[in-house]
Amino acid sequence: MTRVLVPTAILEGESVPFGLMDLLGTVDVTVLGYHVVPEQTPPDQARMQYEERAVEALEDVAEEFHAAGGDADHRLVFTPDRAKTVQRVAEETGADAYTIRGTTGSVERLLVPLSGDVAVERVLSFVTDLIGGRDIGVTLLLATDDESDGRDRLTAAADRLAARGVDVRTELAVDDDPVAALVAAVPDHDAVVMGERAPSVRSFLFGEEAERVAAETVGPVLVVRRDEAAEE
Amino acid sequence: MSRDPPPADAGTNVEGDAPQIEPTVETDEATITDDAELERTLGLSGGLAIGIGTMIGAGIFVFPGLAAGRAGPAAAVSFTIGAVIALLVALPASELATAMPKSGGGYYFVSRGLGTLAGTVIGLSLWFGLVFASAFYLVGFGYYAVDTLAEVGVAVGDGLAVPLALAVGAGFTLLNVTGTENAAKLQNGVVALLLSILAFFLGYGTLDALGVLGAPSAPEQFTPFGVAPILTTAALVFTSYLGFAQVATVAGEMKDPGRNLPLAMVGSVLVVGVMYVLTIFVATSAFGSARLSTFGETAMVEVGRELLGPAGALAIVFGGLLATMSSANASILGTSRAIYAVSKDALLPRWASRINLRYGTPHVALGLAGGPTLGLVATGRVEVLAEVASFLHLVLYGLICVALVVIRRDEPEWYDPDFRVPGYPVTPVVGAVASFALIGFMQRLSQVIGVAIMVASAGWYLYYARGVKLKGVL
Repeated sequence: MTRVLVPTAILEGESVPFGLMDLLGTVDVTVLGYHVVPEQTPPDQARMQYEERAVEALEDVAEEFHAAGGDADHRLVFTPDRAKTVQRVAEETGADAYTIRGTTGSVERLLVPLSGDVAVERVLSFVTDLIGGRDIGVTLLLATDDESDGRDRLTAAADRLAARGVDVRTELAVDDDPVAALVAAVPDHDAVVMGERAPSVRSFLFGEEAERVAAETVGPVLVVRRDEAAEE
Repeated sequence: MSRDPPPADAGTNVEGDAPQIEPTVETDEATITDDAELERTLGLSGGLAIGIGTMIGAGIFVFPGLAAGRAGPAAAVSFTIGAVIALLVALPASELATAMPKSGGGYYFVSRGLGTLAGTVIGLSLWFGLVFASAFYLVGFGYYAVDTLAEVGVAVGDGLAVPLALAVGAGFTLLNVTGTENAAKLQNGVVALLLSILAFFLGYGTLDALGVLGAPSAPEQFTPFGVAPILTTAALVFTSYLGFAQVATVAGEMKDPGRNLPLAMVGSVLVVGVMYVLTIFVATSAFGSARLSTFGETAMVEVGRELLGPAGALAIVFGGLLATMSSANASILGTSRAIYAVSKDALLPRWASRINLRYGTPHVALGLAGGPTLGLVATGRVEVLAEVASFLHLVLYGLICVALVVIRRDEPEWYDPDFRVPGYPVTPVVGAVASFALIGFMQRLSQVIGVAIMVASAGWYLYYARGVKLKGVL
């Protein structure tokens, strides 16, 4: 079964928007309530003070997922390092993807970029599971400087999705920066599903691509995790 | 918190509060309690940076002049004695820390191994010991700040050392309350930079002293003041070895604690120990010890100038500023953690470990760390501050060794350390005896202050925490 991790800054009043809950109705969900503590504060000290309130808030979120027709369990982590916590819990729960916050109403169309070295098949099968036969459309986007090769790849991917009964469109951006092309394509879409990239000098300098996309867009971003075992 | 009734056998303090003790599962990456997980994020380099960063400020940048003035070139032996004692304690502390990788470090082991009275005395003594240590580092910083100003041509005189130390101490306390920037990475960088400066400087100085570069220095008599000062000097400079126990206070936040805790504790003692001994060798070779002692707290600046000219002096002044600041800041943070650990166990009122909503920082504990520190800085008494800090830590260290022996003699079911002390039971027994013995070589004033703090802590126990039972309660 497909599982999605939903990290939530639970003590800062962050909640899961209804549209995202609805979108995740077809998959298993783990709500990861986290609270980031500064290094002056031992995480256990923060737990002593905030645990009760955090657990209550998390149970409310899980409740809302049930009300929206989905299924969710939850975990609570006090951490100095949010990114490490998301990675660890994603690994432990075997989550296929995690979300980055963003608000949306009900989701009608997903934007799925395939630029760069993402694991296309992993992303496509996740998208298929996520849609789960519902009436949600997909736009596949590819930014490339090789137009004919790009068109071939896009068509192949679109065919695979269409074969699984998904309403799919394609969009090719030639000679454009992948992130810029993605941000430009976001209007008319309610959420972005993208593959996680291997860490690189670029991501070290500018931050992870998915985080940058999330910062530039309003809606939620779902990041399909890399299969590290398969890459090695 | 109120959902789980506290274990019935932990008792309550005079206010009716019970220690907050919950069963936990420790993994390499997190601590798992009933409802929550606590991420472990410190790696080996982070642990070493805490240990080395806390220690290096004192031994290299403050003590050489003072120590050489007392013991001559044999001060190197004093530093070696300190290193050996520190190692004899670091090993038992490592075993206990891997068995109980929790915040609180030494306090936690002693309270669980020896009970509430010893725990209260040690917990509160550790608070004050760290306060004395922070004040000592800050005064050291003050002297370096004055020297830095002198190097850049602003002669203000040593009278400004204490006011500058007060300003920086207050600044650190405030920054720790309000700052949420990640200073840990900065600390790692500072330690790496310091180690590079020192490795170059000590390497060059050693070659110079041995005569590889230029003429060898005329060796003076190794023990110009006799043998006895070696031991009193060892007692004084032991403050240079207090940092490894700070590593244990963050045991709850360290990844793979079974491996990283022993490596960070033992490793940081070895690294600074070698550097201290080399520093004394280089310093006493550059000048005679009598001349060295006239330079006081910042003698190393003159050694730098002698070896490498104005650039050497500047490098040492800069290193001294960084090192004393990082030591002071690490100690203030350690104090806050020590206060949290005893407050969690109901040995201090619970409000002492409150976190403020705005910054998420433990402002009460930081205030209880910074406030008394500033009061002590104002005295400006470097040697007494250092010795009282050492006194209170040595009591803790001795009791850590005792706690290890007590726990091992009747090994409880929960006791499952990843690391076991080599040479048990000799190592902890010698460690305990040596720690307590070193106290005997201190100035009378330091001993009186140290004993007074312990007696006051025991009084606090009788009044406040007599009903709390911590022995063997995990």
